Amino acid sequence: MLMVSPAIALAFLPLLLTLIIRYRYFFVLFYRAVLIRMWKDCVTGLSREERAFQYVLTHATPGDPDSILDTFDVWCSKVEFISNIGPKKGKILDRLLMEHSPLTVLELGAHCGYSTVRIARSLPLGARLYSIEMDQRNAAIAEKVIRLAGFDDDTVELIVNPSDEVIPQLRSDYNLERLDFVFMDHWKKCYLPDLQMLEGSGLLGKGSIILADNVLFPGAPKFLRYIRKSGLYEWRIHRATLEYSKGIRDGMAELVYQGIK
Amino acid sequence: MSTAGEQDAGLSLQEEHESKTHRTKRRDGDRQKKKRRNERRKGGTRAGEGEEDLQAVSEKRERSKRKRAKSKQETSRRENNEEEEAQLTGGKGTKARKDIRNEKTRRMEKEEVREVEENVDKGKKKQGSTKKGEKKEDGGKQLVKGKAREVKKKKHKKAETRYSEPETSEEDDDEEEDNDKDVVRLECLSPEELEKLKEAVDERKKLIQSLRGKPWAMKKKLVTLRESQEFVEKYEGALGKGKGRKLYAYKVLMTKKWMKFQRDFENFKTGCSIVTVASYFLFLRWMYGINMILFGLTFGLVMVPEALMGRPYGSMPRKTVPRAEEASAMDFAVLWDFGGYAQYSVLFYGYYNNQRTVGWLKFRMPLSYFLVGVGTVAYSYMVVIRTMARNANESGVGDDNSFNFSWKMFTSWDYLIGNAETADNKFASITTSFKEAILEEQESHKDDNIHLTRFLRVLANFLVLCCLAGSGYLIYFVVRRSQKFALDGLENHTWWERNEVNMVMSLLGMFCPMLFDVISTLENYHPRVALQWQLGRIFALFLGNLYTFIIALMDEINLKRKEEKIVKFNITTWEASLYNGTVSENSTASPVTIHPADVPRGPCWETMVGQEFVRLIISDTMTTYITLLIGDFLRAVLVRFLNYCWCWDLEAGFPSYSEFDVSGNVLGLIFNQGMIWMGSFYAPCLPALNVIRLHVSMYLQCWAVMCCNVPQERVFKASGSNNFYMAMLLVILFLSTLPAIYTIVSIPPSFDCGPFSGKNRMFDVIHETLESDFPPWFSKVFSYASNPGLVLPFILLMVLAIYYLQSTSKSYREANVELKKKLQMQNEENKRKNKRAALKAQMDLEEARMTAQEQQRNNNASVQDQESGSLNSNINKEY
Repeated sequence: MLMVSPAIALAFLPLLLTLIIRYRYFFVLFYRAVLIRMWKDCVTGLSREERAFQYVLTHATPGDPDSILDTFDVWCSKVEFISNIGPKKGKILDRLLMEHSPLTVLELGAHCGYSTVRIARSLPLGARLYSIEMDQRNAAIAEKVIRLAGFDDDTVELIVNPSDEVIPQLRSDYNLERLDFVFMDHWKKCYLPDLQMLEGSGLLGKGSIILADNVLFPGAPKFLRYIRKSGLYEWRIHRATLEYSKGIRDGMAELVYQGIK
Repeated sequence: MSTAGEQDAGLSLQEEHESKTHRTKRRDGDRQKKKRRNERRKGGTRAGEGEEDLQAVSEKRERSKRKRAKSKQETSRRENNEEEEAQLTGGKGTKARKDIRNEKTRRMEKEEVREVEENVDKGKKKQGSTKKGEKKEDGGKQLVKGKAREVKKKKHKKAETRYSEPETSEEDDDEEEDNDKDVVRLECLSPEELEKLKEAVDERKKLIQSLRGKPWAMKKKLVTLRESQEFVEKYEGALGKGKGRKLYAYKVLMTKKWMKFQRDFENFKTGCSIVTVASYFLFLRWMYGINMILFGLTFGLVMVPEALMGRPYGSMPRKTVPRAEEASAMDFAVLWDFGGYAQYSVLFYGYYNNQRTVGWLKFRMPLSYFLVGVGTVAYSYMVVIRTMARNANESGVGDDNSFNFSWKMFTSWDYLIGNAETADNKFASITTSFKEAILEEQESHKDDNIHLTRFLRVLANFLVLCCLAGSGYLIYFVVRRSQKFALDGLENHTWWERNEVNMVMSLLGMFCPMLFDVISTLENYHPRVALQWQLGRIFALFLGNLYTFIIALMDEINLKRKEEKIVKFNITTWEASLYNGTVSENSTASPVTIHPADVPRGPCWETMVGQEFVRLIISDTMTTYITLLIGDFLRAVLVRFLNYCWCWDLEAGFPSYSEFDVSGNVLGLIFNQGMIWMGSFYAPCLPALNVIRLHVSMYLQCWAVMCCNVPQERVFKASGSNNFYMAMLLVILFLSTLPAIYTIVSIPPSFDCGPFSGKNRMFDVIHETLESDFPPWFSKVFSYASNPGLVLPFILLMVLAIYYLQSTSKSYREANVELKKKLQMQNEENKRKNKRAALKAQMDLEEARMTAQEQQRNNNASVQDQESGSLNSNINKEY
């Protein structure tokens, strides 16, 4: 007879309250990113990215990257949730791009084009951005968003393929000699293998910058452990909060490739 | 040997020669090891011999050589020397050694001849080890036998000595025939080679020292270094005596291990910000010490005398399990609840008998019981207050907050940190401390949006009050319900319902602090202030829970006393009926013997109180351990291993590992101690239980901290809060003695159980002792002394004395602060003075320079004049 008396159950109330209050941001995130998404998917029959694109199409000024980004931000914070890089962490990205003005940029994980537009708008003249996206439907939307922002094929090249297939081919297929800037925002599990693949391909030169988003939440512990130990990089973590959410801490890892000393 | 040769082959030509010599030396070395073993024996036997000048000279040379080597390789050498000394102090002194050398030089030539046959290396070690034991046995024999022989031998020529030795060894080894041959061989190791070996080792050491400066290729250097290190390691120990060698190796091993352990521990310390965590464990240890003494008192003066000298189990009703309970008295469930046989044992108050003296020692049991109860509390007061006073002294006077940043800046790095991870941790902790300091500094300056903060603080306090009231009510409700259950009969209810009170109390005590912690983030206090609020709230919670419990217990005591009255009445009628019955049935009036289990008895409220406390402690302990296992260990395991296949980082983000909550744990400890103080009068087993609990939790928690907790994110200065905890302990001590004293003073003890049964009040036992055990004048004096007319002035005097002492200490403190200020002022004044002096000096210097320049200019001018003059004159001359 394991009948727990109601008084003992009541004694667990403080614990429940504590958990709810302490992890409220995670509950909110769960609600916005999972529950609302499932609900809207059923109701509209469109994917989340398509809904976002529709909103952008109707609310943003075509040919103006800033307006498109702002519209994305509004949609992501007010309507639904998409894990773009977001305005706050985007500022760090912008600053790094402005400081180093890279000529060849690789982006892993374009998703629906937010970060691609963000990078492309702060690139110097003559620079080229290679954006890799695995998912077909997302890539189609990203393409549309990029064109809507007014970037042509010369500035942004979208490659629809998994990153682990593309990276070894970059040198041969796209005649790349060196990558000045790499932005990672795809699957967190792929950060480490892709980084090692980049090292192996020889595309990283001294001073190449690698910026990895979401290294604390959802987090890429193996990646962090690797860069801490490898000694190939000078690295730091920019601490921030998760995009479109206040209480969840997140960070971006900035790596500067030093090569073998 | 072949491997050694190969290694040597790697060396260059330059060293080829050297290495060859080494090879031979090495071969010899093995032999010498054996030889040494043998010689040591002889050395022992020759203790009485005189010394010769020549040998003394050679010995001196030896010494100086060794000294040189020592300066080079101090540590390892020290080891060696120690061993030598250890061997020399075997009563033989330096003489013995000298004689060995003596012998060696004499034997040199002959040895070389025999070298060929000595190359038997196998079985040597084995033999050595087997011999070791025998050697010791033989030691005494040898000494006696050998001495006479040695004296003779000394007068012989070289050759004769050479042959006399095998004889002695043969005689020594009467029993060990199989060893004989080897002994002969052992004899044949040359001392000259020993010297060579020593030299080689020294040479190698020198090489290691000077390797850095050698103009060789790096690879060669490395090879040489490794080689020489190996060599030195191998033979340095060998140069010590046979037994010493093993000891040496063992010592080196242990030192290495010890160093590693220390390094690891250091790393752990810096990694875990152990300063705060350690303070908890120190507190736990201190508590353990106190409990040991409490346990010693109760165990030695109450429980053991009663168990040994008191009347045995089953001799009286109070010492017997009643007939109704007998069937289930040995069930585990009953024993676990401290009923059955556990209830009727020395563990509880009710078992003790009220007879004045027990055993042949005439031990005053009731008096002892009372005095121990008072003594434990008095001792606790004394210890707590003394510790507080000492802490107050340590904390010093004045402000320690000046130059805060400078202190942090220049003293926070630990230069002993050896590995990268620890350095990272240290870096992080320093950063946090800086952040905290900056925050503190900002806190003292800012006052923005004070209204919102105030509102939030009031709201937080309101929420906390609600929580406190809720928990208080829940406990009250539960206790009431349990009384109802008790009236119904406990057997009709489930285990959960029976243990509801303890469970609810433990759970609330565990979860409410978490809620407070979450609520306190609303308030936006500085971490230290927040900690104090948090402690205050937990304190209030625990205290409220404890007092609710006690109030409920009081109710129960009153119920039991009512019951007792009825039982008492019933017993008199029962006895009367029994008596009447026997009278009516049996006219001979033989005394009726009734088994003590059948005698009706009152509800012993004291035992009930003791049981309640014991149960509370047990359930509290269980809850602590279970949360440790589930909340910390299981969580850590899940987080660690699920992290391989989870969609976000479990370690850094959401569940993470648990933190070690120092303040909560300390408070838990304090309240636990309070319960012990409260209950130990009615359950003498409580200190023993607490000792066990503390002991286990020390190691369990230590393990948990080491393996499944992460350092606290919020780092705050914990040093100041030490006395805060002590003050809490004092308050708890006071509050927990209150109910105990109240029950002792105001409630009459049960009539048929415990050491004070039959008395009107428990403290009457003192009166009784005074009257019957002391001379009448003493009791007279005591009665005078306890007269309020004398007591009141005394108390007044004490209060005055306290006031006086306090005011003087205050004035001293002020004086100290003044002095400190003065020192600072003086320092500044000095600085200013120095500055002024420096400025003046500078000015003077400047002036001097100016004048010098001017002078120079003048001089130059004059020189020029002169020169021009001379030139002119020259010119003039030329012309």
